Amino acid sequence: MIDHTTTFSIFTELAELSAALFLLTSFGIIAMRQVQASLIMFILQSLLLAMSAIILGYQYTINHLFVVAGVTIVIKCMLLPWLLRYTIRKEVYARREILQVLNIPTSLLIAVAITIFAYFITSPLLKLSNDVAIQFNLPIGLAVLLLGAYTIMVRTEAVPQVIGILSMENGAFFAGISIASNLPLIAELAAAFDVLIIALVMGILISKIHEHTGDTSIKKMTILKEG
Amino acid sequence: MLERILYNIIQVLTVMIFAPLIKGILNKLKENVQSKTGQSILQPYRDIWKLFHKDEVISENSSWIFRVTPYIVFITPIFVTLLIPVLTTYPLFFAFMGDMVGGGFILSLGGFFAALASVDTANPYGAMGASRTRMVGFLVEPVFMIVFFTVSFVAGSTIPYIVQMHWVTPVSNFFDPSHILLMIAFFMIILAEAGRIPVDNPSGHFELAMIDESKNLEYSGPSAALIKWGGAMKFFVLLCIFLNVITMPWGLAQTQSLLAVLFAIPLVLTKIFVFILVLVIVESSLAKLRLFRITEFLSAAFIISIIAMITVFFK
Amino acid sequence: MELIFLLFIPAIASILSLVPVKNRDYPALVTVIGSLLDVVITLHLALIAYYRGGGEIVAINHLISTDAFGIIIVVLTAFVGFTASIFSWGYMKKVTEADNYSKVRRYYARYNLFMLSMFAVPIFSQIAVMWIAVELTTILSVFLVSFRNTKEALEAAWKYAILTSMGAAFALFGILILYWSMKLAGGDYFTWNGLKQISTSIPSYAAMTSFVFILIGFGAKAGLVPLHVWLPDAHSQAPSPVSALLSPLKCSTVIIYVLLRFLPIFSGDSSLYAGNWYEVIGLLSMGVSAFLILQVKDYKRLFAFSTIEQMGIILTAAGLLANGAHYGALYQMFSQAVTKSFCFFAAGTVLTITQTQQIESIKGLVRISPIAGIALIISGFAIAGAPPFAVFLGEITILKSGVAAGQYLVTGLMAFFIIISFIGIMYNINRMAFGKPSERYTSTKQLPVSYSMALGIAVIPVILFGLYVPVPISEFINLAVSSWWR
Repeated sequence: MIDHTTTFSIFTELAELSAALFLLTSFGIIAMRQVQASLIMFILQSLLLAMSAIILGYQYTINHLFVVAGVTIVIKCMLLPWLLRYTIRKEVYARREILQVLNIPTSLLIAVAITIFAYFITSPLLKLSNDVAIQFNLPIGLAVLLLGAYTIMVRTEAVPQVIGILSMENGAFFAGISIASNLPLIAELAAAFDVLIIALVMGILISKIHEHTGDTSIKKMTILKEG
Repeated sequence: MLERILYNIIQVLTVMIFAPLIKGILNKLKENVQSKTGQSILQPYRDIWKLFHKDEVISENSSWIFRVTPYIVFITPIFVTLLIPVLTTYPLFFAFMGDMVGGGFILSLGGFFAALASVDTANPYGAMGASRTRMVGFLVEPVFMIVFFTVSFVAGSTIPYIVQMHWVTPVSNFFDPSHILLMIAFFMIILAEAGRIPVDNPSGHFELAMIDESKNLEYSGPSAALIKWGGAMKFFVLLCIFLNVITMPWGLAQTQSLLAVLFAIPLVLTKIFVFILVLVIVESSLAKLRLFRITEFLSAAFIISIIAMITVFFK
Repeated sequence: MELIFLLFIPAIASILSLVPVKNRDYPALVTVIGSLLDVVITLHLALIAYYRGGGEIVAINHLISTDAFGIIIVVLTAFVGFTASIFSWGYMKKVTEADNYSKVRRYYARYNLFMLSMFAVPIFSQIAVMWIAVELTTILSVFLVSFRNTKEALEAAWKYAILTSMGAAFALFGILILYWSMKLAGGDYFTWNGLKQISTSIPSYAAMTSFVFILIGFGAKAGLVPLHVWLPDAHSQAPSPVSALLSPLKCSTVIIYVLLRFLPIFSGDSSLYAGNWYEVIGLLSMGVSAFLILQVKDYKRLFAFSTIEQMGIILTAAGLLANGAHYGALYQMFSQAVTKSFCFFAAGTVLTITQTQQIESIKGLVRISPIAGIALIISGFAIAGAPPFAVFLGEITILKSGVAAGQYLVTGLMAFFIIISFIGIMYNINRMAFGKPSERYTSTKQLPVSYSMALGIAVIPVILFGLYVPVPISEFINLAVSSWWR
């Protein structure tokens, strides 16, 4: 990629801004009580991913990043929420999750610690390249990945857990558009469709669970134990 | 040199004169949004005038703290005005007397005395309100500190004038992610410190739910006038810090002429008016949070400021 | 070209089984024929690879190609898929009502799609596409796991879906970092061979980061300790033929194949100690599963834990980094695939007769139903590693080469854990098979013919390759080892 260390153009600032807001949305997914609100945060997150792809594609003139951005918007911002709502009935979305594993301020503090940890891990990696976009896309992508895993651990409702998995993939992609932007287009397209299939499968599974147990809280799923 | 002292005095006078006007505009707009006619925008002036002409009643069980507090609440915003850019981009005479951290401490000095005074009269509602104010204040402090430190780290100095110049010069600095995030965090702090929805209902009279209004409960006569005026000035000062230092540092007097300084006054008022529009929209669309949810709101502000700090430090 | 046929046939079989015919035998027949064709094609591929001396078979350059190692995986997949499809025939007829045709159709459609995804993994040599194939193996099997639609099955499917998708995301990040470091080292093609060529020039920190993420990610997908919590649930709640596909094929063969394939790439940098990491994870898996086998109460969970143990053995053997150990690892992959599928067929037979999965409620199985009893005994002995079965040969080979390589601690721990799990498995199986049968089960139910057919076909390699390894097969395995490490 072209070396752009000396030009702090407005595009760099905008790309950084979308990275920071991207990180903020994954905090939002952890902290929002309402199931519906976490879905909206996920849509925002995918939108910011697309924006970052567009800015990077424009800045470095890599055309297929535009295709990636377009596919992301269509699949993650439009199809995926529609799919999740279509397969899961409305009453699941009206829920507020009263009980999380930890209370929200503690969760947020641990999330900050995870973000700092992600920066710590990637700092030797950042020295390997002079590219400006990698400097913030890679650590924030890893941070969102780890935060998604953390979301799965603390949330006790089914739909936020699915959103946690999807945001993990978002994080991996966010890092990917900066470090692996030459990855063959077919791989990126297929990965995007793969996300769609995941959402479909999870959605149907959640609706089946809802049918059979009347409740989608994961805390109640402790029948199978060791022994 | 003489001019700079003059401009400093003009600055203080601006704050003193226009603070109640801002309060009035805010109240009227809120009422208008709710389809009511609302009070006239000059009403706060009339209230303060009326209160100055009334007798004062002070409880026998209160100490010197109760008597001194109105003056402290009135004077601390004036001190902070000397330190921050209100009308000009270049530092004025007293500008290097204290930096932003010092300004923050002076403001909280006023709040500290107000809380003590509410407890002083042994009014149970006062004590309740005071403890709630302290809770909100204690949660807001770390966010203040982190916002100030981050802003100073980026600008390389803690003097508000120098910080403000950092944002003005290259326009692209406005879109710096730490800048946007700090704006959001500071906005949430203003909502908390000035006692607006979603933290507190400023037009409520229900003592059990009061947070910020509780400091006004026991005062009457000129002391009440001073407290009201001081509260309005604190709000104005917070807005000036937010707008002139962090958010929209444009429209301030660049040259050292009296005309430029006087011309800056309506510009600053316009900026504040825009902000008040945004504030009214935010206030009218949210509901007041329950007390324990305020911690979540403020910890969200804390997290946002930490993310801003992270994006700055790891550049 | 055959490689692409290999992908088409399960896809066509899947579509054909969805044709609404009011017959429960029709989709089963389609699947059986499809998997038989797969077996034929894979054996043909094996012959080609053998005569090429283990070289590459290419369909699309740098996208779809495989070598001797991949061929072994493909042959195993086809064989187990074939026997499992025969077993499913009878199983489906027993488990579903007589007129529930759509449920049977959906089962076979999903079965074929699952087979398709498992074939795709060794065939696609571009790593990002391979990741997608691995992800598909999980997603397409979620509904197979939850097939029974009971609360327990749904819970198992949920845990399975969430934990493996988490692993997939971690693995994706590791793969992206690997791609980046490959670009930095000047590599061209993101395939197994392309990576091996530049394996020594990858920057060290990047290699370590991507190694850790890939190990965590694919380890979660395979069910290695400490990310194994979903495995006993999923493999015990799934219908038995599906467990026969999941346990020995998807987890131990296909995903372990991916992990093994990464090993030469990361061993290029000696500061990574990649081999040692594999040994540690392998030993941990063996140890935890061995001790968990001692306290298991459900015989399908018993077999599931044994799967974890087998995966541990293979990983440890691979990490030993000695040629004989690698031969042993591949042989073990081969033997546990055929043996474990046989175990799950036996478990399915027992379940059909006794209608319970609890070990304690079954006694004297040999008297109740000779077929089920003998199958269970053979499967128990076979998977525990007793002679003259295939698993025994594999384990002995590994232990011998471990001692020869001087790694006494690792080999000693391996032997210890194998003995503990041997005791655990034998104890539980013998409790079930022998003794006085309880009154409930004195009337034997009639077993479908397909059960016996499947058991009969599946047991042949288990015994055969324990007695004697034909020379072509051992040569082929050697070819596979050399193409793995070249």
